[in-house]
Amino acid sequence: MSVHDRLTAAANRIDRLTAAIGRAVAWCVVAMAAVQFLVVIMRYALGLGSIWLQETIIYAHAALFMLAAAWTLAADAHVRVDIIYAGASRRKKALVDLLGALVLLIPFMLTLAALSIPYVARSWAILERSRETSGLPAVFLLKTLIPAFAILLAVQGIAQAMRAVTVLASREPR
Amino acid sequence: MGLPEVFAVGMVVALCALLMAGYPVALTLGGTALAFAAVGHLAGVMDLWLLAALPPRVFGVMTNDVLVAIPLFVFMGVMLERSRVAEDLLETIGRLFGTLTGGLAIAVVIVGVLLAAAKGIVGATVVTMGLIVLPAMLRHGYDRRLAAGTVAATATLAQIFPPATVLVLLGDQMANAWQAAQLAKGNFSPQPVTVSDLFAGAIVPAFALVALYLVFLIAVALVWPKTSPAIPPDPAALRGLALARRLVEALVAPLLLILAVLGSILGGLATPTESASIGAVGAVLLAARRAARARFDELLRPVLARTAHITSMIFLILIGATLFSLVFRGLGGDDMVHRALSGLPGGTVGAVLAVMVAMFLLGFVMDAFEIIFVVVPIVAPELLTMPGVDPVWLGVMMAMNLQTSYLTPPFGPTLFYLRGVAPPEITTAHLYAGIIPFVAIQLVALIVLWFVPGLATWLPHRLYGEP
Repeated sequence: MSVHDRLTAAANRIDRLTAAIGRAVAWCVVAMAAVQFLVVIMRYALGLGSIWLQETIIYAHAALFMLAAAWTLAADAHVRVDIIYAGASRRKKALVDLLGALVLLIPFMLTLAALSIPYVARSWAILERSRETSGLPAVFLLKTLIPAFAILLAVQGIAQAMRAVTVLASREPR
Repeated sequence: MGLPEVFAVGMVVALCALLMAGYPVALTLGGTALAFAAVGHLAGVMDLWLLAALPPRVFGVMTNDVLVAIPLFVFMGVMLERSRVAEDLLETIGRLFGTLTGGLAIAVVIVGVLLAAAKGIVGATVVTMGLIVLPAMLRHGYDRRLAAGTVAATATLAQIFPPATVLVLLGDQMANAWQAAQLAKGNFSPQPVTVSDLFAGAIVPAFALVALYLVFLIAVALVWPKTSPAIPPDPAALRGLALARRLVEALVAPLLLILAVLGSILGGLATPTESASIGAVGAVLLAARRAARARFDELLRPVLARTAHITSMIFLILIGATLFSLVFRGLGGDDMVHRALSGLPGGTVGAVLAVMVAMFLLGFVMDAFEIIFVVVPIVAPELLTMPGVDPVWLGVMMAMNLQTSYLTPPFGPTLFYLRGVAPPEITTAHLYAGIIPFVAIQLVALIVLWFVPGLATWLPHRLYGEP
C-alpha cells in the first residue's frame, strides 16, 4: 500500500469513528425536545417541577455539541469566511486546511485538553454532583466532555491534515 | 498605547487577516488567541495563568440554560424545511394576490415573514426562498433585479423576527453585559434583561421594516407596472370558497405553530427554551403528516444530522470566542476599548455610532454569531453604563444592523447563499442592483429606530414592566 493510500485509509477510519459518535449524540436533540416538552406539560398541567429532568436536558445539550463538533468538522459544516476560499483551487484549499489544522486547531485543542485534565480530575476526585440536592449526581461526567471534545477534534484535525497532504502530494495539474 | 495593548490590537488585525484564508472561523479564533497568548507570555505582557479560566468558561457555555433553546429552535427550523410549509404558503397566498399588479411580490413578503417567524435561521430561509420563490417570480415575468432583491431581503428577515437564533444569542450576551454595567454603577440587584425582552423588542421594528418593504414594492408596481406583472387568472384555479379552504389549510399549521411558540414566550407563560420544545414537537407533527408514507426515522435522520452540525458550528464559535476574549482581556484590550469608547466625541451618540459602524463593517467578513460572541461582550458593558442606552433598544439595533450588513453588497452573506441556489439567469449584477433599494430601506429603518427607541422598548415594557 502506498503512503497515499495509507494516509487516506487512516483518515477514513477517523472519519468513521467521529461520524459514529456524532450520529449517536444527534439523538440528544430528540431527547431534549421530548424531555423539555414533558417538563412543560408537568409544570403547567400538573404543577410539578423536576430539577432532575431539567438537568437531563442540559446534559443532553452539552453532549450534543461537544461530541458532534468533530463530526461537523469532517462534514465541513463549520463556518468559513469563504470570500477567497470558495474560489481557490483544490491545492490551495488543501494548503489552508493543512496549515489551519497544524497551527490553529491542534494547538488550540491540545491546550484545552491539557488545561481541562486537572480541572476534570478535581471533579472526579470528589465524584462531583449537582449543587441541587435533587439534581443529577454526575457533574464529573459532564465535565469529562471537555477533554473528550478537545481530543476528538484534535484527532479529526489530524485526519484533515492527512487528507490535505494527499491532495498536495498528488501530481494533479495546479 | 503600551506593549500589551499593541499585542491586543495586533491580535485583532491578525485575526481578520487569518479569517480571510478560509479556515473554519471558530478554530481560527481560538488558534490565533493561543498564539498571541504564547508570544505575549514570552514578551512578558501576558499572564498564562489566565488560561486556566478556560475550562470553567467552557463548562459555563455547556451549562448555560438560555442557550439550550438554540438546538431546539434549529431543529424546529430544519424540520419545517422538510414539511413543505413554504411551498403550500407560496402557492395559496400567491394565488390570492397574484392577479394584482405587484401582487406576487407582496405574497412573497408575507410568506417570508411567516417563514422567518417559524424558522429563525437565515440559511434555511434563503435556500427555501431561493429555490421555490425566485423561480416562480421569474416565470411570471417579474423584473430579475426586483425579484432577486425581494427574495434576498425577505429571507434575511429571519435574522430579526423572533425566534431568530441571533436574538437568543444577543439576548444572552446582553443579559451578562447589563448585569456587569449595573454592577459597575453600584446597582447590585438590577432587573434582569432576558431573551424574551429582546424577542418582544424586535417585533414592532420587524413589522415596521416589513411595512416599508411593502410600500416600496407597491410603489414600484404603480410606477413601473412592467416590472411586476399581474398573473393572468387561471380558469382552472380554485376560487371563492374552495380557495378560502385551501388558504386556511396552508395557513393554519404555521400560524398555530408561530402562535404557540411566540405567544407563550411573549405572554410570559413559557421561557424561550420551553416554547422551543413546543415548536419542535409541533414541527415534527407537521412534517410527519406530510411524510406519512416514509418511515419516520428516514425523515428524522437527515434533520438530526443538520441540527447537530448547525448547533456544533454555533457552539464551537462560542468556545473559540471564549478563548479569544480571555486573551484579549488578559492583554488589557477591553480597558483600551472602554477608554476609546468613552473618549469619543459626541459622548453616548458617538460611542454607539462607532460600535454600530464597526459591527456593520465586520458583518462583511464575519458571521453574525462571531460578532455577537466577540464584539458584544467587549463593547456592550461600556455602552450600557452610558446615560440613555436601553439594553433592549441596543440589542434590537444590533440585530437590525447585523441583518442590514447581511444584505449589503458586495460581501453580504445572504447574497452568497442566494447566488448559490438562484437560477442561472440571475447574475450577480441583478442581485446587487436589486438589493440596493432594500439596503436603503434598512438604513432608513435603523435611523428611525435610533431616534424613536420606543419602537423597540414599548412592547417589552408593556409586557414585562420597565427595567
